[in-house]
Amino acid sequence: MWAYIAKRLLLTVPVIFGVAFVVFAMVRIVPGDPAQIIAGETATKEFVEAIRKDLGLDRPLMEQFVTFMASLVRGDLGRSIRSKAPVSEELWARIPNTVRLTIAGLVVAVSVGVTAGVVSAIRPYSVVDSAVMLVALLGLSMPVFWSGLMLILIFAVRLGWLPAVGTETLAHLVLPAITVGMATAAIIARMTRSSMLEVLRSDYIRTARAKGLAEPVVVTRHALRNALIPVITVVGLQTGTLLSGAVLTESVFAWPGIGRLLVEGILARDYPIVQAAVLVVALAFVLVNLAIDVLYAAVDPRIHYE
Amino acid sequence: MRRYLVWFVTTALIGVLGYSAAAAPAGPAPQRGGVLIVGSGTDATTLDGHLYTDAPTATIMEHMVETLFELSPEGRVLPRLATAFSVAPDGRTWTIRLRSGVRFHDGTAFDAEAVKFNLDRILDPATRAPWRFLISRVTQVTAVDPTTVRLVTDAPFAPLLAHLTHSGTGIQSPTAIRRLGADYARQPVGTGAFRFKEWVRGDRVVVTRNDDYWGEKALLDEVQFRVIPDDGARLAALEAGSLHVAVRVPPREIERLRGSRDLTVRIDTSLRTIYTAFNVSRPPFNDKRLRQAMNYAINKEAIVKSALAGTARVSDAPIAPNVQGYSKIMQYPWDLERAEALLREAGYSRARPLRAVYHHPTGRYIRDAEIAASIQGLARRVGIELELRTLEFGAYIALTARPKEQNDIQMYMLGWGTVTGDADYGLYALFHSSQFPPVGFNRGFYENPRVDALLDRGRITVDQAERNRIYAEAMRLIMEDAAWLFLHSESQVTGIRNVVQDMLVHPAERVMAHKAWLRR
Repeated sequence: MWAYIAKRLLLTVPVIFGVAFVVFAMVRIVPGDPAQIIAGETATKEFVEAIRKDLGLDRPLMEQFVTFMASLVRGDLGRSIRSKAPVSEELWARIPNTVRLTIAGLVVAVSVGVTAGVVSAIRPYSVVDSAVMLVALLGLSMPVFWSGLMLILIFAVRLGWLPAVGTETLAHLVLPAITVGMATAAIIARMTRSSMLEVLRSDYIRTARAKGLAEPVVVTRHALRNALIPVITVVGLQTGTLLSGAVLTESVFAWPGIGRLLVEGILARDYPIVQAAVLVVALAFVLVNLAIDVLYAAVDPRIHYE
Repeated sequence: MRRYLVWFVTTALIGVLGYSAAAAPAGPAPQRGGVLIVGSGTDATTLDGHLYTDAPTATIMEHMVETLFELSPEGRVLPRLATAFSVAPDGRTWTIRLRSGVRFHDGTAFDAEAVKFNLDRILDPATRAPWRFLISRVTQVTAVDPTTVRLVTDAPFAPLLAHLTHSGTGIQSPTAIRRLGADYARQPVGTGAFRFKEWVRGDRVVVTRNDDYWGEKALLDEVQFRVIPDDGARLAALEAGSLHVAVRVPPREIERLRGSRDLTVRIDTSLRTIYTAFNVSRPPFNDKRLRQAMNYAINKEAIVKSALAGTARVSDAPIAPNVQGYSKIMQYPWDLERAEALLREAGYSRARPLRAVYHHPTGRYIRDAEIAASIQGLARRVGIELELRTLEFGAYIALTARPKEQNDIQMYMLGWGTVTGDADYGLYALFHSSQFPPVGFNRGFYENPRVDALLDRGRITVDQAERNRIYAEAMRLIMEDAAWLFLHSESQVTGIRNVVQDMLVHPAERVMAHKAWLRR
């Protein structure tokens, strides 16, 4: 098991370098000039050139890449072109917010999604099932910039129960967590339902029922646990997505996370910020996937990693 | 050498009297205390007052860092950290008297040495101060005594005082700048009515009242500038009471918000002019008749009324009112017959329509893409076929900034905020033939020797009445030449909760809480 984890961790190194190369190239292919953006639209050519020189953007691309990689190996992500602050500082200011939103969103998604999926699966094709699945379809189809605004309008503007924007307290977390969690909850509900339906038809469930176990025990202990493997896969993928920053949700709720940092970085052509943020996101994806693989073994004792 | 003195005392007195007269019939007495929360669309870029370029950062800096002179909302230059100035007859030597007894937030003294340090820092090319050009004519700064500085310019430069009102020339603590180095940009130290408290990246900048302020002290305990990028969410937060002030309210929301009992929508003038420049160096718009035809073909009133819900002002000059040097010049009326006649004269007809590509940004100026679409629709009525092309702003600016020989753009929409409040800044960079990109902002390559001569004269003429005449003549030529498709000057639409009193929305696109207070 530990050898497997160590091997997987080693494998992240080439992944990160690959991502670094791709993102380095991509930010430079996109038209637009960071020096011009810092200098302002009204700046003179000399001024823009001087800034470009400060930033090392006048150097050959190959040289810039080598410098970037060398710093990366030393763990130095550079300074933001725009704010001049160390990139690591900019990242650390955002990562806790993103993690907080991700965890809260997942709590909403898993609790609502799994419950809804199970309820649907117990009485397939009933009115309850149809209603749950219809709601799930809606949850999946609603764009978050709309559903987020609706939640603000209802719970903050009309009812005044929760704050509209901000990050200070747990109350501030509720609406954004529901917003990001909703779509994921819908996916999880659908996945849980179909997985449960399959499991509920299997022989060992019939056996469990035949030996007189109470239905709730059959459903939770025997069926759900076996149905969870594909659900965990979905949760894993969604965690990666959420960690990469729920950009739209973050914008609607003025939530200063990684996603917004990335978007702002792209708009300002803040190369070091974009590069570092993408690397963090890639790392998060890789680590979450590893965690999910390890989790499979915990849920299903038949799975072993050698 | 006999100098003629221009003292501010009278101006300042008039200002004070005017203010108290206006404030006299006000309701309840101002109350002290409370936290005011202002929502804007973007985060500060840097808190070094010499290094930013954007209006949202300027708003924050204005609360902490002060300039030698200030631009009143009516467009007059008033003393702030300065008390008076005089200019030598050669028009090159400016002597500025400074306020005494002023201290920076770190306790160090504000004096002539501090002013010299700041101006030298801005002038030093290594600082990379984007607003250096505002004072780049200054060749020497001397601290004569603790309360007197002398500036020498390389040539007479009339807009100097107006340029010293710009927040990019603010006076910050030399001690703090030396001590903190690059980190100064995260903990600014000025002399303003508010001092820096904290900057939570991407979330908020907080300033607290400076109880040792030299002037009239602020009433609020604290002002928070919060970042809420989404327009709809910003409004919702205002309605929910999470914000007291929301900037850049979308015009389409104005009617709805007017129904609210808790908040007021303010529409204030801005110094920003929105225009569409023609590339006059290439066909088709090297033909003046076609440029004029476009100006006649577009119904500017209709655009302002529909796309902007009446919040803008149709341009009657290339610069906005409230800019020193502005005067009403002319408007091209909406006249389809004249437009068609000019097109015919130039050899175009409905059978052989004039075709052009129209570049415009999206989301940069209020309803820019919608306005471009309206222009396209209106132009079609006289047989002008415009093809719209939109780009993300970073790429857009790079495209329009190309030098003449490479610049094949035909017409493009841009905005210009005359943030110094002086016509020189609003005209010279845009219409002088020395300002073609990549040097300046004359991105349509407009060239008229008479305009050049007038703009040069405006720079060296100190007498404001004479300058006004010079600029009026220059602007008349520019408008007759139809260098642009003249559109409108924007307004600032700000949502403010009714508990907030005496908030100032300055035409230079800054919301100022210096005198604001919360009614309880």
